[in-house]
Formats: sequence, structure tokens, C-alpha cells
Amino acid sequence: MQYGFYIDQTRCTGCFTCVVACRDWHDVPAGPASWIRIKTIEKGKYPDLFVAFLPITCYHCLQPNCIPVCPTGAIIKRDEDGIVTIDRELCLGAGCQLCLDACPYDAPQFGPEEDAKMQKCDLCVDRWAEDKKPVCVDGCPMWALDAGPLDELRAKYSDAKFAEGFVYSEDIAPSVTFKPKQDVKGLVTQKILITPPAL
Amino acid sequence: MSLDKTNEEKIIRTICNSHCGGVCEMKVHVSGGRIVRIESGGEGETSHRMCARGRAYRQRVYAPDRLLYPLKRVGARGVGEFNRVSWDEALETVARELKRVKDTYGNAAILHFCSLADAHVVHHTQAFHRLLCQFGGYTAPWGFISYEGLAFAVGTTYGTPPAAYTHEISQRAEVYPKARLIIMWGWNPVDTYQGTRTPFSLARAKEGGTRFIYVDPRYTDSAAAFANQWIPIRPGTDVAALTAMSYVIVKENLHDQHYIDTYTTGFDMFRDYVFGLEDGIEKTPEWAADITGIPAATLTALAREYAVTKPAILEGGYAAGRTAFGEQFHRAIVALEAITGNARISSGGRAGSRALRRILQIPSPPNPVEMNAPPRWNALPYRSASVNSSARVNVNLLVDAILKGKAGGYPADYKFLWLSNTNYLNQLSEVNKGIEAFQKLEFILVTEQFMSSTAKFADIVLPVCTFLERTDFRTPKAIEPLGESRSQLQICEALAPKLGITDYSDKSDKEWVEFMMTKLSEEVSKAATAPKKEAADLTSEITPTPSGKIEIYSQTIAEMKHPLIPPVPKYIETWESLNDPLAKKYPLQLITPHFKRRAHSQFDNLPWLRDLQKQALTINAVDAQSRGIHDGDMIRIFNDRGEVIIPAEVTERIMPGVVALPQGGWYNPDENGIDRGGCANVLTKNVTSPAGAFPSHTALVQVEKAEE
Repeated sequence: MQYGFYIDQTRCTGCFTCVVACRDWHDVPAGPASWIRIKTIEKGKYPDLFVAFLPITCYHCLQPNCIPVCPTGAIIKRDEDGIVTIDRELCLGAGCQLCLDACPYDAPQFGPEEDAKMQKCDLCVDRWAEDKKPVCVDGCPMWALDAGPLDELRAKYSDAKFAEGFVYSEDIAPSVTFKPKQDVKGLVTQKILITPPAL
Repeated sequence: MSLDKTNEEKIIRTICNSHCGGVCEMKVHVSGGRIVRIESGGEGETSHRMCARGRAYRQRVYAPDRLLYPLKRVGARGVGEFNRVSWDEALETVARELKRVKDTYGNAAILHFCSLADAHVVHHTQAFHRLLCQFGGYTAPWGFISYEGLAFAVGTTYGTPPAAYTHEISQRAEVYPKARLIIMWGWNPVDTYQGTRTPFSLARAKEGGTRFIYVDPRYTDSAAAFANQWIPIRPGTDVAALTAMSYVIVKENLHDQHYIDTYTTGFDMFRDYVFGLEDGIEKTPEWAADITGIPAATLTALAREYAVTKPAILEGGYAAGRTAFGEQFHRAIVALEAITGNARISSGGRAGSRALRRILQIPSPPNPVEMNAPPRWNALPYRSASVNSSARVNVNLLVDAILKGKAGGYPADYKFLWLSNTNYLNQLSEVNKGIEAFQKLEFILVTEQFMSSTAKFADIVLPVCTFLERTDFRTPKAIEPLGESRSQLQICEALAPKLGITDYSDKSDKEWVEFMMTKLSEEVSKAATAPKKEAADLTSEITPTPSGKIEIYSQTIAEMKHPLIPPVPKYIETWESLNDPLAKKYPLQLITPHFKRRAHSQFDNLPWLRDLQKQALTINAVDAQSRGIHDGDMIRIFNDRGEVIIPAEVTERIMPGVVALPQGGWYNPDENGIDRGGCANVLTKNVTSPAGAFPSHTALVQVEKAEE
């Protein structure tokens, strides 16, 4: 069984509710570590414009790059649901960061402290235990997010592997499926913003 | 009320209510008397899920800069130097000053304003109003800061309060998806929300095939989310565009003559104006193109599409009504709706919590200061005698009234100012003029949660708790008040005996809520038995104008005889337009939009929200380039009223010639009096539209790269 995310990019308004809900639920202070961020993609020149938003987080890949590179085996992929989690006791901390180097989606997060241990989205494993969906999913005022067994999400919504601002990596197979927002005019990208900024 | 302080986690269900127009469901997790987490309260797609601000509420409650004790000013006004004092000393001081001002100058010298920041039903204006009326009266403000232009337009055209016209939050999910066309005009609900159900309902409409046209100087996040077409427009010129649309519609015979004949009056006079019979100017799309910056062909197409698409919704945001002649914007919208048969009004279905706020109030004796004052010249028929009283001062002009007093034509000289649930200095126009006025006062009392720009000028600051620390209508207390902070009602209860008032309150918060619930049940059962009326059976009962019809020509306005408030909606060029000689010196039009991570100035200090958006001036790449400004550069924004230095955000998402500074940044002057906090109202002008609207989007500025 592989759990993952569904993201309806046509619904996302970049409201940041998921970002703050995640900070509150997981007690993550404002700073360089944020388990979920919003990418804003701005295309075109005045007055012909296109803007899309994309929540970016850990996609709990089928073949995660982070796991083989971790020197201590601190990152594991759970058998029962494929959620990728970190044992912070084993993590070597900010001095290492091999996992971050390996991840194409910048999912591993490090706080500002010198010996910061890696932290990241765990798809709210604690909430699934209480029969609740992740806090970002449950909080989205646009109902743009869902999470659960990936096969079910693909069957229920869409099996699109692409979205504006997202590149699907076949090698690692991120567990995410989209309803993408599409720029039919093929405008040129002017600006990409990541919020909150990584550093 | 005793609250469980054990470590067992409890969940309190309440409603976030933070002056955003929303009423979102909130589940507050409490353990050991502390809030440990906050969850969205709603299940299912009919619920109101909180936005980022509500989700950050824990940081607001436990913010290190929360005011937890009464404070007495020791430094100069505005500096922010205070000493902690006891509640008794603070209230004694306040009571002594209130009595002194009353005895020396009379009750009218006491000005009080309570806005909606973290206010609800029990702990709101009426709590203060009752106290001050029992004390012999005070000067109250009139007018809505957010939408007086709309209130005036609806009040004169329909004869009703604005709530009878605007779509209540609870109606939107039903209304929007039914429309085949939605024109969003100066309306950005993705940032302002007015309830998170609003953008969600719009998304549902879009998915159902509704076409969206977005008219605004900015390509906002709402444009990004919904717009099939964006029509940029110069600020303050909306009425020219709307009038040209009326021209096209009538010229091409696309209007609904039957509807006009049956439900409206004054169409002929409006048509005469539109066709230039009155002033010799035909209000053609070509005429409007020069004014608005919208190509004539675009305006023509827009007019045709609106006229022939049914049902179509023309949603005029409050923003374009917050301009120099803001009431004309809403008047022009309702006229266009009426001539196309798109007028919307219904006597049913308005049970939203915002409407309830008006039903649910702590009762009060009449205000003695208003009792013998005649109605104002611009009294609106739907308003109470109290609100229409000429003893009141326009809410936007309190500082003007303080500076000028009777000599300037105001009803009194003002000496004592009590501000509650508002960061008035920061949020109303012309901060530097506000400071001058505040310096002139004999006493300033501020009830606050934080050391706001306004509170820094107070003589006494009383710490108010957040809504999670008090009980109100549908919002039970989750935790005890932090420190020595108290609720609004508690503050009034404690002050009353010191003012010699013995019968202020005989009820606890909970009993007041129960008292109001009884009143509410009566209202609801009354409403339930009244037959629901739709636009199809309009009667004078739901358009209580002098004619009993929708008045495109308003008799109420005609009787006001104000040269700048014409009885039919007209385009009037704003002051500080691009044709103003001042534009040579200050060539950019400043608008001051709402910011997603704040509710006005609230929430600005919370780290969880602060890194989500940078307080910056949005400027088009063309205007930036001609000034040598790059994205992120520090820039000066200035006019004769003040100067702000903050970073520039260079973007394609705003019309050239227009710059936007999000309102609500906390005023933070440096040693030269230059604001470094990005407070937009340093630059806005302290006047109102002729009918009383707050023209927060009419100001000229210049922008330069800052030298540092």
C-alpha cells in the first residue's frame, strides 16, 4: 500500500492555510524549516498573464532518493502505507544534509540551529491513527487537497503526473497525483516564488 | 466559569471572527488550561474552514507582545513608554478624566469609536455605548469605513440597509454556481475572503462552467484563480466604464424595458445623462476608453456580454467604492443591474452571523448627546435616528473633528478619545494629521491586545483578552484571560461604579448571551412566518424608497441638494486623478489593498504569518525600470502628506501608472518621521467622498529608489 497526495491545482489560491495549519499541528516555528510550502509561478507580460500555485511537500516517493544516501539509516519507508519518516535520534543533523542534496523536491527540512535534525512532512501519521486525514488536507478552505492510498486517489480524481511548476521524476516515483492548472497560451515564466522562503 | 485545568486534552468548538467578514468554524484543543493546537472546525463542503490567519490564532493568544497589564503613559505621546499600573489605578484615572471632561466641556467632548477587530456581540460597541449613554452621552461616529459608498447607494436606490443587497456568506454557495457570467469588479475575495466559503463557491461556479471577467488595476490572486479575462482599469474611473456599458446596452436596445417599467424609476433621466442630452457628452465606450484605459472594443464587448448572459452577476467590491466619489461606483452598478433586469434583492435568507450582529445587541438608553440634534443632511431613511443624528461625526473624520472642532463646523470640541477594537491611527487616512490631532487631545484611552501604533499615543492602555478568553454568542470561552487582561464587558463593568453608574450590568457574559438568544428566537420565528419574496415580486415593502421602486433617479438624493451627489449616477473625475496638476509632481496612483496574511492591521506581528508575504510596494516593471528600481530594492514612496520607505516588488501583475501598498502595515517612523513599517495611510488623504466614504484608493504619489 502506498499513501500519497492529490492536489487540485485549479483550486489552489495560494492562501497558505496548509502552511500555517501544518506549523500549528506539528509545532514548527517560523524559520527555515517548513513541511509544506507554496510555489507561485507567474508567467507572461502585462496584460497577458497566467499565475498558478502549487503546494510543495514530501511526496513519499516509491523509491526515495533520501533513504539510500542516509549514512545512519535514519529515514525509513513504512511497509504498511509507504509513508517516509525520519528517526531524529539517528539523524546526524544539519552538518550532513545528504538527504536534502538527494531530494529533487527539497522535502527534508532543517531548522536554524547548528545541530538541527532533519524534519519533514510525515503525512500526519499521528492523525491517520485517529482516523483523520493530514492537517493540510482537513484544513484546506478550497478542498484542493486529499491524501490516502494513491491508487484510490488516482481512480477517484485523476492520474495526472504533471502540474504547473512540478516535474515528475520517474526514477523515484513521487506519490502525488494532480488536477493540473494549464497555461494554454504557453506564456514565458517571469517569476517563481517559494513561500515561506527556504532561507 | 471554571475551566478544566487538567492535562486531558479538550476540544472547544467556536467561531473565528476577526474582522475579515468571515465566521469560520474552529476547534480549539486545550490542555492544562493552555491552547495546544487549533483545528479547522468544519466537516463537509458546507462548512467554513479557517484561513491561514485563524490557523495562526495560537500565536496571537501567546504572542510575547500581548498586553497583559494596564499601562500608564510615562513618555511623550507616540513614543511608547509606559509603566504597569493596577486595574484600580488605571480605571480611577480614566473615570477621573471622563468626569472632568464631562464637567468642563459637556458629554459631547467625549469621542468613542469601537471597530470590529476581535469584537463580537456581547463584547462589542454596544457594551461601551450602554456605559457611555448611562454616563450622560458621548459623540459617536457614523458611517462604515469598509463600505459607506455601498451603504449610501443601496440606502438611496433600494431604501434598504446594505445587507439586504449584498450576498450573505450563507447564500453565496447557492448563488454563484447558478450564474453563467460573474464580473468581479474591484473584488478580491481570495485575499479578503469575506468568509472562506466565498472563494470556494466561486471555484465551484468556475468548475460548473461559469465565465469570469475580472476588472481591477491588479491581476490579483482572485484573478489568478478565476479570471477567464482580465480588464485592467485606472483607479477611480470605474463609473466611466460602467456608464459606457449602460450606453452600449441602451443604444443597442439590450436593456430590459419591461423590468425597468415595472420595478424602477428615473431611467429616462439616467438615459438623458448617458446619451449626453444633459451635458453634451455622449458616454460612449470611446469616451470611457480615454478615462479608464480600457479599449472601447473591450468595453463594448463587456457590455453586450453582461446584457445578454442570464443569469449574470456583477459583483462590485467595496474597494472601488473607497474612492473619491465612491458612492457613484455602487450607484452605477445598481443602475446597470436594474436596466438589465439583474437587480438582486430578496427579503429572505439573510440569517448570516453578520446580520445577527445587528439584532443581537446589549440594550442601551438613548444617547443624550444625540437627543435634540436634528438629522444630518445626508440621513438615510433606513438608518435609525441615532445613526442619522447630526451630533455624530463621520468615522473617517475623527481626527479632522478633533483638530477643527466647532470652529470647523463640527458639533462640538473634542477632548477625550476612547478607541476600542481599532488601530485607528494606522487604519484611517493621513497618519501625520492623525498624530497632530492625537497630540491635541486632553486624554486618550485605548483598549487593546497589542501596543499598536494607536495605543502608543494613549494615556491609559487597558489590556483586552482575545475572543478565545471570553464567552460570547456561539463562542464559548476556551481558556482563562491571559495575565490581567479582561473582556470588553468586564472593563465596562469595572468602570461603571467609578463613574457613579450602578445599573450597568446585572448579567454574566453567559446570561447576556442567553438574553440575546431569546431575542434571536423571537426574530427567527418572526422571519420564518414572513413570506419570502424574490426580485420577481418586488414591492415597496422590500424597496422602501420614496417611490417604492428601485430609484435610478433617487428622490432621497435629490432632496439632499448636494452638487457632487447627483440624483442619477454620474462619472465625476476624482481629485488626485492623472489630470490633476499634482500628477506632474506625483505621477503614480496609489491603491491600498487588503493583505492575505492580515485582517486590516491585525495578525501582522505573528511569525507564522509574517514570512508568507513581504510588505512591499507593488510596481509595474515599466514604472520600475524608468526609475532604475529592481525587485527588492528599497524605495521611497511619498507625497505632501508623508513618506514611506520599504522594498519594491516589481511585477507584471499591476497596471503601469498604478502602485499598490497593502494596508495594515504597522506605522513605524524613524528619527526623521519617515515610516519604515509600510503604513499605507501615511500617504492617503483625510477627506471623505461627498456621501461619506473612506477614499483609501484615491491618492497620488511618487516613487524613487531610496539612497542608502
